[in-house]
Amino acid sequence: MLGGVLGNVYNATKSLIKGHLVTLKELRTPKITVHYPDERLELPLGSRGMPALKVNQDTGLLNCTACGVCARECPVDAIEVEAVVGEKGRKKRYPAIYNLDMTHCMQCNLCVEACPFDALEMSDAFEISRYDLDDLIFDKEQLAEIWKTHKAVRITGGEKL
Amino acid sequence: MSEIEARRLKAEEVGHEKLILNLGPQHPSTHGVLRVITTLEGERITEAEPDIGFLHRNFEKIVEGWTWSQVIPLTDRNDYLANINNEHAYVLAVEKLAGIEVPERAEYIRVIMSELNRIASHLLTFGTFAMDMGAFTPFLYGFRERELLYDIFEKVTGARMMHNYVRLSGVRNDLPDGWDKEVLEFLDRLENDVIPDYYDLLIKNPIFEARSLGVGVLTKEDAIAYGAAGPILRGSGIDWDLRRDMPYSIYDRFDFEVITREEGDHYARFMVRMDEMIESAKIIRQAFEQMPEGPVMGKVPRVLKPEGDIYSAVEGPRGEIGVYLVGDGNFKPYRVKWRAPSFSNLSILPLMAKGQFVADIVLTIGTLDPIFGEVDR
Ligand code: SF4
Ligand code: SF4
Repeated sequence: MLGGVLGNVYNATKSLIKGHLVTLKELRTPKITVHYPDERLELPLGSRGMPALKVNQDTGLLNCTACGVCARECPVDAIEVEAVVGEKGRKKRYPAIYNLDMTHCMQCNLCVEACPFDALEMSDAFEISRYDLDDLIFDKEQLAEIWKTHKAVRITGGEKL
Repeated sequence: MSEIEARRLKAEEVGHEKLILNLGPQHPSTHGVLRVITTLEGERITEAEPDIGFLHRNFEKIVEGWTWSQVIPLTDRNDYLANINNEHAYVLAVEKLAGIEVPERAEYIRVIMSELNRIASHLLTFGTFAMDMGAFTPFLYGFRERELLYDIFEKVTGARMMHNYVRLSGVRNDLPDGWDKEVLEFLDRLENDVIPDYYDLLIKNPIFEARSLGVGVLTKEDAIAYGAAGPILRGSGIDWDLRRDMPYSIYDRFDFEVITREEGDHYARFMVRMDEMIESAKIIRQAFEQMPEGPVMGKVPRVLKPEGDIYSAVEGPRGEIGVYLVGDGNFKPYRVKWRAPSFSNLSILPLMAKGQFVADIVLTIGTLDPIFGEVDR
């Protein structure tokens, strides 16, 4: 083996060439960078964005019965539900208020799994940045709108995607 | 007496001026928010004191107010590069405490996901360690492979990092069709193209060798005394891996080697991680072959009020992730104690940094690979 300075120069050059050969190889491989937002990736089915309220296709109404199970299941208390109060103070099975606070929500899917009425689904809407925090509290109309405009799925436990 | 020696003696007489240098907490080399207060004499470190807690979120106290199953998404945020391993650790503990059965297929899926997560974590460590050394290109390579792996994760769990996938008594959903082929393709590429490239790009480089061979040596005795875990322990020549020595889940069904290296220096720890990726790939292949059909969710009792206490641990990418649970017959855990491997690994830093050059402490932090989500909790 070469010793001293000459050896060092030899070793450095050799590893330099080796390293650059690896880089050169990349010329042949397909480009994997996606220039968001000009280009977009196709999101896989079941990609988790934010929860959205399912609209019944026949009646055009929400499936939600304002039972409040999702609000209890949410670890960070991001959901606020209140049922419509009818005559004699009886609660109807329809939400008067359904607010989802996306400043708290961590998109964990627990509320969707908990809903017993097939009323809540996880949509792939992830572009929800706003200038004001108040705009991040979504009411029931907005949540239904998100359900209509995005892919949404409901996974409750064990099934295939 | 030569002139140089005389000068040195004179300098010793006068004494060096000590310099206190703050590394971090906002320094790219510290992998997050670590502050190290170093005392320097010239270029040598005489004392290094890690200051932690900048990312403290009060995990252990928060979860006392949550039900047993609500805790799972938060465990993701402890070691955010090994999410499935963390979920697995917690879920295993609760399952043992409450005596919940897990279907076979779910166990296999958990193992596959855990091992994939280990590979993802080691890929990132490869990249960050190279960047700590000043080589930027390998960093991008490590990240690229990890992102491709995260694409694979996303198809199953729906998320790239915060999966929230493992459930009490199983996993949230079954694997989609054709997913196994994608994983196997990735593993083939990892073994045949990616890792050899890494060797050419970084590991065989003389600068890499000069800066990692024989630097930051951790002896066997110290590794045990400080409670080191994972690749740090095995890099110091101690043959200990929970997957083999205290098999949990179904790890006793797989044939794999526990990688150890005797030297205990940066190079040894780094190479343990590189070789572990290949072992993980082995486990995943075997798991796909053995995996039975069937349900992926078992029965969870409607009323989950376990009583008693339990300690259970899994081998995460950074070592033993231990969970100590106390249940007092309530919907919520009475106490959750999280043994974070990064925390005990980081405690060795003062010992290892003593006598090192300033430039090397950055690498030492790099090989200890602490994740501040779990150090500070
Ligand atoms: S996704 Fe999780 S955090 Fe968000 S509202 Fe549902 S349960 Fe709460
Ligand atoms: S979304 Fe489902 S769980 Fe939530 S209140 Fe409506 S019906 Fe109940």
